[in-house]
Amino acid sequence: MVVKVKSLVKRYKELIALEHFDMEVEEGEILGLLGPNGCGKTTAINCILSLLSFDKGEIEIFGKKMTPNSYDIKKQIGVVPQEVSVFENLTVRENIDYFCGLYVGNKAIRKEYVEEAIDFVGLKEYTKFYPKKLSGGLKRRLNIACGIVHKPKLIFLDEPTVAVDAQSRNFILDGIKKLNQEGSTIIYTTHYLEEAEMLCKRIIIMDNGKNLVSGTNEELKAMITTTEKIVVGFSSIEDKEIQKIKNIPHVIDIEKREDDYIIKFENGLNNLSNLLEFIKENNLTYTKLYSQLPTLNDVFLELTGKELRD
Amino acid sequence: MKSIFRNCMYQGKNLYRDKSFLFWTLIYPIIMAIFFYTAFNGMINIQLENIDIGISSENPIAFILEEIEIVKVHKILEDEINEKLENEEIQGFVDNDLNLLVKKSGVNQTIIKEILDQIKQMGSLNVPMEKFDFTVNYISKTNQKADVVIIIFYSLIAMVSAYGIFPGIVTVILIQANLTNVGKRINITPLRKNEFLLAGIIVSLILNLLSNGLLLIFIKYILKINLFTEIKYSTVFIIMGNLFGVALGMFIGASNKQNENTKTIIGIMITLVLSALSGMMSPNIKIELDKSIPVLGRINPIAIITNNLYRINLLGSTKSVSEGIIVLSIYCVALISISYVFLRRKTYDSI
Repeated sequence: MVVKVKSLVKRYKELIALEHFDMEVEEGEILGLLGPNGCGKTTAINCILSLLSFDKGEIEIFGKKMTPNSYDIKKQIGVVPQEVSVFENLTVRENIDYFCGLYVGNKAIRKEYVEEAIDFVGLKEYTKFYPKKLSGGLKRRLNIACGIVHKPKLIFLDEPTVAVDAQSRNFILDGIKKLNQEGSTIIYTTHYLEEAEMLCKRIIIMDNGKNLVSGTNEELKAMITTTEKIVVGFSSIEDKEIQKIKNIPHVIDIEKREDDYIIKFENGLNNLSNLLEFIKENNLTYTKLYSQLPTLNDVFLELTGKELRD
Repeated sequence: MKSIFRNCMYQGKNLYRDKSFLFWTLIYPIIMAIFFYTAFNGMINIQLENIDIGISSENPIAFILEEIEIVKVHKILEDEINEKLENEEIQGFVDNDLNLLVKKSGVNQTIIKEILDQIKQMGSLNVPMEKFDFTVNYISKTNQKADVVIIIFYSLIAMVSAYGIFPGIVTVILIQANLTNVGKRINITPLRKNEFLLAGIIVSLILNLLSNGLLLIFIKYILKINLFTEIKYSTVFIIMGNLFGVALGMFIGASNKQNENTKTIIGIMITLVLSALSGMMSPNIKIELDKSIPVLGRINPIAIITNNLYRINLLGSTKSVSEGIIVLSIYCVALISISYVFLRRKTYDSI
């Protein structure tokens, strides 16, 4: 076990930021901490890293208790904070070299690592630039380079793709996969469910400081009753016909979203053909119709009654 | 050691490329020097001719005035005063309490007044009158400024030596996870805080001393004002001023959660007030304070530096050097220790 967090409690006066939060991270996995903004993801990370004090709980990293003086543990950790955390008056290369030097004493190795990190984040053309001259996406890449340059065994990435363009986002996500393939264990916090689905082997869904559920993508989706969603755009439909849809086998709910209807099904076969048959029988016409598998948003919705992005 | 050196190098780069640091430590002092030079230029460039001063023969400062080349002393009786003033045989009469009696105001009368103020100040600072080498040091030999301007320049140097306050603030906020993002990142690396702080102090001292050096070169070679006749002790006080500035900066940086701009403004306000009290805005403030609250000059760090630079270089007196160094050292140790206590905590309640 690389990281073990047991019953972590963190309070800000009256507000409970973390309520008996548990987390276990296996070596070599990418663990996603998924939850809406303000749910406690960053607080959990900051407590684990001993930046924040906490009221109760136990934290172990690499089998040792994590404390602010655990310099031997800190040497093996890389952190990419949510905010771009670099020196404004040092160039890209100087920033990467400075942070690398806090971990790697040997000058030759450091030079090699810095070059690799620059290549890794695609900042070769910008090495002499100051951060303020970089776009938001490039700054994020620099932020990542400073966190991973020393080749840590364990990497914390706290919402690294917030406010970046699509190109940089894909670049960052591909890079994270590569880091994992090279052997790093990764803890990845995000409120983008697509990222969590795409990247993470296991996901912990958080809300209001609590660890709601954890498991693989498939395990989480298997926990909810919705197994299929069919989105239909009817040319016209009356309320009585909508009520009738609820009688189609396995339909558990129907909701209107903008001009479309989303029909949710629980386990069962032939959901799409059953719906098409209903449409034909009732002489309804449609502009679009497609089937979707449930997403993590559906898991979150079913667990909390609200959308992940609410 | 290697880590401290690397931190010095990168913190130094980060600092000297900081425009606000460059402005406050390099540009602003030069602007102030030019401003003071321009403002007092008329006074500085007065063609000094003989000034006739009346004085009674038993006046204890008669021998001092006689030593001043530009002054011609007329020992007169009390009943001759009005007549000689009316006839303009003398431009002023100095009584035994060092009050000046004049019939009209003018440049010469102003100079006499300044000389008397200077003598009074020396008296209030307990500087022996025989050490008052007025002529040699700053009127005839160096052919330059009146003493009032010199006080301003010493006070300016004292103030900018304390501008180590700015790099001190920057160093401290860069290590605090609840104040800067870089602080957050550094706190989760294996770097120890005291290494970062030590490197910050070294770099702050070096960079601020360099900018002080540039100011002194500017004053000496561009403004042509020679302020230093005694380099060794002057250097000690400038270094102490720098250390005090860095220590105060660290204290301001560590003792509250305000942002960098607010902390900088606090630093500027403190140094300006201390400098004003030490005579930078008007030497008369200093003279009055030295008379009414003499202890202020002995505890105000900028005044300590100003007074000592003045005494060392103009009066050749090193009497108060030890006291000054001790008081400044106490300030530095106290401020750095308190700052360290603030910074020592390892985790934060909130960030």
